[in-house]
Amino acid sequence: MKTLLVLLAAGCLFGQAKLPPYTKETLPNGAVIAMMPRSGVPLVHFRVLIKGGVESDPADKAGLANVTAGLLRRGTKSRSAEQFAEELDFLGGTFQAAFDGPLGSATAISSEFLSKDFDKGLDLLSDAVLHPAFTESEVHKELARRIDGAKAIKDNAQGSIGSYFRASFFGRAHPYGNPPDERSYSRIASIDIREYHAKHYCGKNMLIVVTGDFDPSIAKAKLAQAFGGAPTVEAYTWKAVPPLARKGQLLLIDKPDATQTYFQIAQPGIDMKNPDRTTLEIINTLFGGRFTSMLNDELRVNSGLTYGAASQLEQNRLPGAILISTYTKTDTTTQAIDLALDVLRRLNEKGISAQQLASAKAYVKGTYPTRRLETMDQLAALIGEIELYGLGRDEVDGYFARIDNITLDQANAAIRKYYKTGDLTFVVLGAADKIREQMKKYDPHATEVSIKTTGWGN
Amino acid sequence: MRCFTAFVLFAALLPAQNVQTATLANGMKVIVQEDHNIPNVALYFFYKIGSRNERPGITGISHFFEHMMFNGAKKYGPKQFDNEMEKAGGNNNAYTTRDETVYTDWFPSSALQLMFDMEADRIRDLALEPKMVASERGVVYSERRSSVDNNNRGILYEQLQAAAYTAHPYHWPVLGWPSDIEAWTQQDLKDYFAIGYAPNNCTMVVVGDVTMARVMDLAKKYIEPIPSHDPPPPVRTKEPEQLGERRLTVKKAAQLPIQMVAYHVPEARNPDSIVLDVLTTVLSRGQSSRLYKRMVDEEPLALSVNGGAQDSLDPTLLIFTIQPRNGVDPAKTERVLYEELERLQNAEIPARELQKAKNQLLTEHYSEMKTIAGRANLLGTFEVMRGDYMKAFTIDKDYEAVTAADVQRVAKKYLTEKNRTVATLIPEGKSK
Repeated sequence: MKTLLVLLAAGCLFGQAKLPPYTKETLPNGAVIAMMPRSGVPLVHFRVLIKGGVESDPADKAGLANVTAGLLRRGTKSRSAEQFAEELDFLGGTFQAAFDGPLGSATAISSEFLSKDFDKGLDLLSDAVLHPAFTESEVHKELARRIDGAKAIKDNAQGSIGSYFRASFFGRAHPYGNPPDERSYSRIASIDIREYHAKHYCGKNMLIVVTGDFDPSIAKAKLAQAFGGAPTVEAYTWKAVPPLARKGQLLLIDKPDATQTYFQIAQPGIDMKNPDRTTLEIINTLFGGRFTSMLNDELRVNSGLTYGAASQLEQNRLPGAILISTYTKTDTTTQAIDLALDVLRRLNEKGISAQQLASAKAYVKGTYPTRRLETMDQLAALIGEIELYGLGRDEVDGYFARIDNITLDQANAAIRKYYKTGDLTFVVLGAADKIREQMKKYDPHATEVSIKTTGWGN
Repeated sequence: MRCFTAFVLFAALLPAQNVQTATLANGMKVIVQEDHNIPNVALYFFYKIGSRNERPGITGISHFFEHMMFNGAKKYGPKQFDNEMEKAGGNNNAYTTRDETVYTDWFPSSALQLMFDMEADRIRDLALEPKMVASERGVVYSERRSSVDNNNRGILYEQLQAAAYTAHPYHWPVLGWPSDIEAWTQQDLKDYFAIGYAPNNCTMVVVGDVTMARVMDLAKKYIEPIPSHDPPPPVRTKEPEQLGERRLTVKKAAQLPIQMVAYHVPEARNPDSIVLDVLTTVLSRGQSSRLYKRMVDEEPLALSVNGGAQDSLDPTLLIFTIQPRNGVDPAKTERVLYEELERLQNAEIPARELQKAKNQLLTEHYSEMKTIAGRANLLGTFEVMRGDYMKAFTIDKDYEAVTAADVQRVAKKYLTEKNRTVATLIPEGKSK
């Protein structure tokens, strides 16, 4: 019995990860329904993906897709916002609607209920997704809140440096480089939201994933009934995007009261279909993706300069960044930046050892089940990625084999190809008066912006 | 209807029968839940020592200790705990609160023996090398700069605690005052290790792909030989009753103000703490809650409003945190908060609203049980804070028992002006 459970549930037999089976069906209006019934936990998780996400924001109205998502539950044709909230909370249900990650190319609407509340939960969810009212008063309230929120986030250095980085690295013409601000929100009108919803929330853009404890033979008809009414307008098509805006530049954000400098150092990375992807995941684990990584070891453990240093390998539909992030007290700013650059240079020049490669492989495999396969929401997210981006089941089923097959030569070749030491983008947030002069050695033409200035230095 | 819900969920999600316990000869309690859903294990150690066991001069030392536990022992030297663990496919973390220090390991079940060996090594023979102490001091300082000095909520919370507690050790921050972080000595650390890290002062929780028999074999081999000794001396000081409202301000560069309103309330083991959970849920959980509706939705007063009390061994604070909107005077949000508290004091909440709060609390409790890590944390926290891990399985009955009259009674008892501390962060350069 126990062995059987392991086989079905965990799917990590013989050192291989395995995605449990799911079915997929396309409704006449183009909406795709994926179901993964799993007994055990009496919960059901719904995840509706609407293709477009950050890529579908108009250039002058950044935030439109997320504002639309935020308003879905704020009143429908048959329920006021208050009624919706009361019904949802009475079931103890959850409801989140926003980009699928900050650079997500889809809007994700996630909702979880007790299995016994399947019908009520599905009714609430589909009502919000398909029949939002977008009343003037709710639109006005949502936009006003977001405008104040864009102000408030500047009180949090760690929360805001990412937006400065995106604007600087990708550039405003790129969908990843245009984070919303007070100005873009103020240009959004109700009509924009209605039109966005009418155009994007259609069958052909819609993927509905259901995981958890439910009977698929009964659920199928209910889901078809609930989402079969989504309009049948044209599907969203991915647009061509411009190349990255800038390389080798430094943006300094002045926060005069900061006692700590936050910085990010970036270079171009990959998209989620890049053939070097798994190799780079392993390399990034060693460089800055775990506690014993080279960056954390040097900047935290050996030198005590920071509480944490990391590097992120962004993987989205479009190529992202390889991004070093950390912080240190103001007077050790250059010491920390230089050390981070030194760690990068050492990786680039010396590569990694067979021992390091083996350790990173074991780490990525060992942590995979808890990162991606343990809960219904994790499984729903995984199915969403596989279907939306056409990754195939092999995304999971072939993952451990892809890791096992990476050779030391391949890893070191990938390091030379991606982890370069020139043309880096720097974004530094701190007390400018104390660090301005020192920043010139990284970029003699560094630009500077006050954190009080509206927007993200763009 | 709610009983039915609860029964179904607990029966299927988390049968308490799956939990087995034992106590080692040296006094360490072991709680094990077998779960073979994924081939991984969550191994948690709850040491009943936190900032409440400190004294002026060594504030923050419990938290510093948490860091030092990763910096080398006798068999596994500096860096080896992390290196060996990651090489075996695992990772770890730790956290310190006012009442406890918790070490959290997540790893494939193949690494179980290694983890017992390494955990036993650091409990028995922590090295405390001076060089590592020096560099870790910098790390902890950086943590403080991030979570307090450069974090407006963090700094306001620290000041609030310091004002609300005048005598009890909850007065000082878990991270410690900066002057103490700079000053504690090697000897302070040695003394503290001797006081806090007795096996009899620790509860071990193991959830995941293990068997009780295997866990006990390893625990007997590696942990049981570690001798027990006296646990930390009891915390004698009790916070005297507050005799009038306290108010404080923090002036700091900021775009928007922040407001925190705190009331002294009982510790987690007091039956009123469950009633207070229901009360704060009615007020601030979900978009249908009273404060959200009033302050965030109907009137443009706040960007967010939250309320809650941290589980604790000694009487704690119920804190409402409000982020006022741009241009809104915090005096206005404060007044509206009091109006809503008075509503709770003046009339019983309707039956459906009470039931809604109970349902919300229960589903949130379940959602903490979805992962092996969440369950390990929950079982250990219930064992330490509420005195019995089994209470995690019977909390549905505790919620069910709460009546509208109970909510009204605790609102009247604790949410009074005399018992209140109000902290406001005012953006520098603005008058209010």
